Amino acid sequence: MPRYAMLIDPAKCTGCGACRVACQMQWQLPPDRFYNRLEFREKGTFPKVRQEIFPVQCMHCDNPPCQTVCPTKATYKTADGIVHVNPQKCIGCKMCMTACPYDVRQPNEKGIVEKCRFCDDYVAKGEQPPCVTTCMNTVRVFGDLDDPKSEISLLLAEKEVYTLLPHMGTKPRIFYVRK
Amino acid sequence: MRNISRRTFLQIAAGTAAAGTAIPKLMDMKAFSAAMADAPVTKVPTYCNGCSTGCPMFAYVKNGRLWKVEGHPVAMKNYGTLCARAHGVATDLYNKDRVRQPMKRGADGKFQPISWDQAFQEIAEKLTGIIDKHTGNSVVWMAHGGKESYASLFLDEIGSSNYITHYSTCFTSKTNAWDKMAANQLTIDIRRAKYMLFAGRNYGGAIIPAAMKQLTAAKEQGRKIVVVDPRLCELAKIADEWIPIRPGTDLALFLGIAHTLVSENLYNKTFVQKYVFGFDEFWNANKDFTAEKAAAICDIPAAKIREIARDLAKNAPAAFLDPGYHGLHNHYVSSTQIAQANVIVNALLGNFYQQGGLMPSARPALGSLKPAKRLQPEKGPRIDGAGVPNEYPTVEPGRGIAQHMPDRIAQGKVKAIFMYHFNPLRTAPDPEYQKNIAKADLVVTIPVDWNESSYYTAHYILPEHYFLERMEPPKPVSGNISHDFPQIAMRMPAVKPLHDTKPLLEILKGLTKAMKIDDLYPFTVDDEISAALAPLGIDANRLKSEGCIELPTPIKPGFPEKDGKPACGTFTGKIEFTIGAFKLHGRPGVPTWIPPLVAPKGDDEFRLIHGKQPWHSHSQTNNTPYLLAMTKSYHGTWMWMNRQRADKLGIRNGDTATVESRIEYPGQPARIVRKNMQVKVTEMLYPECVWIPSAHGCFSPNMTYGFGQGANYNDFAPSRVEPLSGGCMVQEVIVKVRKGAS
Repeated sequence: MPRYAMLIDPAKCTGCGACRVACQMQWQLPPDRFYNRLEFREKGTFPKVRQEIFPVQCMHCDNPPCQTVCPTKATYKTADGIVHVNPQKCIGCKMCMTACPYDVRQPNEKGIVEKCRFCDDYVAKGEQPPCVTTCMNTVRVFGDLDDPKSEISLLLAEKEVYTLLPHMGTKPRIFYVRK
Repeated sequence: MRNISRRTFLQIAAGTAAAGTAIPKLMDMKAFSAAMADAPVTKVPTYCNGCSTGCPMFAYVKNGRLWKVEGHPVAMKNYGTLCARAHGVATDLYNKDRVRQPMKRGADGKFQPISWDQAFQEIAEKLTGIIDKHTGNSVVWMAHGGKESYASLFLDEIGSSNYITHYSTCFTSKTNAWDKMAANQLTIDIRRAKYMLFAGRNYGGAIIPAAMKQLTAAKEQGRKIVVVDPRLCELAKIADEWIPIRPGTDLALFLGIAHTLVSENLYNKTFVQKYVFGFDEFWNANKDFTAEKAAAICDIPAAKIREIARDLAKNAPAAFLDPGYHGLHNHYVSSTQIAQANVIVNALLGNFYQQGGLMPSARPALGSLKPAKRLQPEKGPRIDGAGVPNEYPTVEPGRGIAQHMPDRIAQGKVKAIFMYHFNPLRTAPDPEYQKNIAKADLVVTIPVDWNESSYYTAHYILPEHYFLERMEPPKPVSGNISHDFPQIAMRMPAVKPLHDTKPLLEILKGLTKAMKIDDLYPFTVDDEISAALAPLGIDANRLKSEGCIELPTPIKPGFPEKDGKPACGTFTGKIEFTIGAFKLHGRPGVPTWIPPLVAPKGDDEFRLIHGKQPWHSHSQTNNTPYLLAMTKSYHGTWMWMNRQRADKLGIRNGDTATVESRIEYPGQPARIVRKNMQVKVTEMLYPECVWIPSAHGCFSPNMTYGFGQGANYNDFAPSRVEPLSGGCMVQEVIVKVRKGAS
């Protein structure tokens, strides 16, 4: 059983948004629904200023608050690390949206609160998520933490990384490269 | 979520087909794939139509419907990746605002559907009348660029010299100077460069995906990237250094760098002696233009200018000043000289035809059909004046001048206009002026969408197939950045045409037949494919399935020589620092400092500059729902303003402001243009300017998603022609900004 994770290097991101639209096409989402987003920040004052861009999506937490609060167990985590939503069980109460500190859950047109799925069916077949493959700047690396030779395992061993909002105790499966 | 059973899906699909609107029923793809698990997914090769880069890609098609697109792994433009636009324009296949059948404007000004045959008959009759009365040279074909071979056959047949591209509103000062000075448009070799200087060129906004892949890799490897731009652009975000510059003064910077290279003896003397003509003329005209002089103009410290020059020289020839694109070219009064100075800085580094410097981009030698010779009428001079004595003699006739067409109509020189995927009402300066294109006797547009030019000026709209519905002959995958091996790509139709549209070749066959022109296009696209591939020995079926193929013969570095003498293609065979054609027409042959046409004064005045938003392709995508949704998420229609300047005007982030410019033409009263724009208050912009993305300001009511969103730089600028290269100078514009809506 693989243990999926993603490494994001925000310093490389130039904010083109290809990840968002590639994902929308993969999952045939309408234009105003998306499973990943960018957070833009400015640091400093002109002319000594820099820009930071953070790609944010479902962190596939090992301790997912959205699962904890879900009254129907519609949100659940599998051994491969992916946090899923069972559409049959979801009653659209939106507790998960309130609980998620990363603000990455969105109701679909039927009220089911969706999110990034780590492209579960596709990665099981050995494919890469399109947010990874479409990215011209190689911002994202997706892979199996249980495979010591996977690119993500090698990079995690080499780079200093962090997770978003570690104090929330969510234990995200998305790691960010520290610069 | 309700599971979609096969039966439900079929009902939805049948409903769509019956309605005949082909508006996509967006459904959950997981349910879709579960329901249709046995339906095969086919991968159809094509290349993107989102911008002129044309990234090769695959369209994934299931049950005859486009699912998604994916970059072609072989292609040197994108290495398997795609930007947001590529995905967005693919979804536009199903955009309800496509023109779905031929349309004719009635006497009431409203459009009515018309059959193809009827449209051909009526256009043929009117066009034949115009040609008989005013000659074929009163007919103009305007195009963004593309399929020139089809248009040329038509124009040659009727006797028109007037193939006009959009390039005068984009970058012709660059191609003009580079062709005249170096006889080539060389490209940057990012993969081997050690020091890279970009000024007015943002590969992260006007995206070349492979360039960004190479640049982010270069950064990781510690090779240096320096970006000069009034705005902290996307490329600057990942650069080692961002150097803000006063907009409109890049010529001073380039001349200051050149002065440092020469005065500090850092330039490549061997290269200059062997391969440069006109060095002395350049130096005599510029020997007093020191880094200090440049610094006072461009607001970059002299020490920094010297540091850049020294770093370039230290790393030469594996160093370059990027030749640039839309940013600095055509948009300033000094754009031609900016391009000239760019050639000179690079030549002083001796990086021409050197790895890590400037290299040609490998191109395959494609074959072509050899049409039988026909008896053709004599052509008159180009009506746009490009290359015409006493008009614009030094402007490239192959590209033309697009922005002054209404003048040429008013002068009675132009009677009929065809616009093929070209929308000057939005992409050329001053839309109110451009609306006068409607005064031509016959205006025919060949678009895919209801663009402004069609909506306001067309008498007939002949919609083309969407690019995902077209098969098109092979084209070279080449340019923008250097790649060692030639590549070709072609388009295969991914889906059956959704609407009553035709490909351009069929449109021209129909029109010429109705004009009783005999067999002007005696070939099919398959004939073109065979002819193109014949010299390469590549089987058509292989290309049709692989989509993009790389050929094994690489380009090699080294300055072109013939019989031991320089032979780069110019008259002297050398890089020419002075342009003889300019001198012949009374202008200096070498670049010297030229001040901007306008300068902002006072707290409320700003120079208006623009650039490409990374998820939009100028106005081409301003009605694309997926990309507009991103615009909404990221405030993409807002005008950027420096925080200190905004503070003085009391403007806070997100406030609405009135932006105003004065448009004046000789002999006419001035017109004030006023637009309300929301303001992004930022530290990431040089204080003297405001910046707006080039995408927005859609004003065609039939473009229902983008209509009325934001404003466009062209709204604020008069239509002008820079005399040497035909540029439109739209960044020579001052706007006044005040808080609050007007």
